[in-house]
Amino acid sequence: MMAMSPIDPQLQDVLDGERDPATLSPDQREAYARLITAAESLQQAPRLSVADRVMAAIRAMPPVPSREPASRRLWRWLARPRAVTVRLRPAWTLALAAALGAVVLLPSEPSGPGTSFPIPGDREGVAQFVGHFPGARSVEVVGSFNDWSRGMLSLRDDNGDGIWHGAAVLPAGQHEYMFVVDGERWVADPLAGRYVDDGFGIGRENSVLIVRPSRGAVTSDGAGESR
Amino acid sequence: MRLLLTLALVAATPLVAQSATPRLAGRVPAAALPAIDSLIAMAVAESLPSEPLVQKALEGSAKGVPANRLVNGVRRGLLQLREARAIVTHVLPDQPIPDGHVAAVAAALARGLSPAIVERLLAVTPDESPGPVLHAAADLIAHHFDPDSATALLVEAHEKGLHGVRLLDVAVAATHDLQRGGGRTPAEALAHVRAMLPNVPEGPVTHRGTRGS
Amino acid sequence: MNDGAPTDVDVVARVLGGDGEAFGILIRRYEPGLLRFATRMLGNSDAAADAVAESLVRAYRHLAQCRDPAHLRSWLYRITGNRCRSHLARRRTSDISLSDAPPLADATDTWGILERGEQVALVERALAALPAEKREAFVLKHVEGMSYEEMAAATGARIPTLKMRVHRAREALLAALEELV
Repeated sequence: MMAMSPIDPQLQDVLDGERDPATLSPDQREAYARLITAAESLQQAPRLSVADRVMAAIRAMPPVPSREPASRRLWRWLARPRAVTVRLRPAWTLALAAALGAVVLLPSEPSGPGTSFPIPGDREGVAQFVGHFPGARSVEVVGSFNDWSRGMLSLRDDNGDGIWHGAAVLPAGQHEYMFVVDGERWVADPLAGRYVDDGFGIGRENSVLIVRPSRGAVTSDGAGESR
Repeated sequence: MRLLLTLALVAATPLVAQSATPRLAGRVPAAALPAIDSLIAMAVAESLPSEPLVQKALEGSAKGVPANRLVNGVRRGLLQLREARAIVTHVLPDQPIPDGHVAAVAAALARGLSPAIVERLLAVTPDESPGPVLHAAADLIAHHFDPDSATALLVEAHEKGLHGVRLLDVAVAATHDLQRGGGRTPAEALAHVRAMLPNVPEGPVTHRGTRGS
Repeated sequence: MNDGAPTDVDVVARVLGGDGEAFGILIRRYEPGLLRFATRMLGNSDAAADAVAESLVRAYRHLAQCRDPAHLRSWLYRITGNRCRSHLARRRTSDISLSDAPPLADATDTWGILERGEQVALVERALAALPAEKREAFVLKHVEGMSYEEMAAATGARIPTLKMRVHRAREALLAALEELV
């Protein structure tokens, strides 16, 4: 590691544009010139462009949302309890369900005696998914909670207003997911608020969801909250 | 004769490539399967959690990622797990390392959290699942709070009795404060939340609207 | 912007109004600087291209959250800086290290230019050896020509912190340049 000597504060002030270079001593002027020349040598712009690539990605996206934050519009929808709720387990416990061909969907509202919602366990929570995809024919959620399998958590747009919704009981903890629109377009959830690069080098991000335990049980690793 | 030999060889070749990890069979492209199996085997041999790598392989396959990028993605995951364990071992040298710690730190590194911040937060939460506090820090930094100041706030919140998912509430409070408008700076938002500690509003148990909890 | 070209505020309004193609104006306007910045941060033009492309896509996706389009430039540099830091964090665990990344200087220059190329290579290596935060601060200040106020908006750091980073970066670079003598 090369030895560094502190630079005279006067020189720092000149380099910060807070003092006239004419006030520098000859030695300081030489150092000033070296640094300025070095900085200028770094100003060569690379001879490449990402414009085509970016515009191609943009054209493949849904339209940019209007100025009203989507969360505000969707929050109005969320006031209505119309979630379709499913219970999801890691795939290795769903082997039998897979053999049966589908995860059972439950009605969003009790329709009579004996009908009930799935109740999250102590180390589970409920996640609701909402997406604004006007004109879409189908929207599903694919993620780590369903082994990135297709056809397991489909959202619904009951009144055709372009707002797709669904819910799932998930294990507490971190999950990554994306929406798949019309069976082919992978889209990060714009409302997730939390993203991570998917690590495959093509610029796609997964949405990150952290599910809290529904009952706040204190777990052995302290991840829950006590009541 | 050559035709018969060819047919015999074709018949002997499995229609679906075999994998040491059964969940990958039929999902991961055959071209990528040997390399991915090898990477997962390395993780197992090194006592690293293998589930993140299995998930990454399933994810890339579902997304139709080309085989070379798929393998690179899984390999990157293995390297992150190694780095994560090195960090955890450095901070907690005298105790067995739960798999959850390594996976949580790897996830934090993937979100861009610096090793220095990870170490600092692990050091103040040695006996807790580090996921919530690391995600809280990553959330704050993603919302452009100064990393050192954000970390200091979380450390102070922990010292004042906020643990686990309550630290996520600290991050939510700060980001909400910043987004509330009125020209508040990130530093002011952090100061405002610091003044609230430990009475930061609790987040919803039912996670609505797919916003971060 | 006083040459008749639309302002950033105008372009952002057009994009948010549904004219996604207008985002191309912003790309052409800021791409050179962002690529230069990312290249200096990552030491590799391919990685820089990936980082800038990802950043611009992210900026488009979250354009409605740009609270002050009049300071779009700072916002774009902030996104790109974060993306570069993510790349650097991943690179720590990857096969290619910064020291392996080829310098940008063109080694086929004539003798007179070769000396300058050597100096550029030395400066680039010295820059690459800096911690990411100091490297970023130096590049934003002396390559992208930002004021400390703009840098604060682009990084989220306080101005005194940024000044310290820039000052330390200058000392390290000057030490490296003096070795060339």
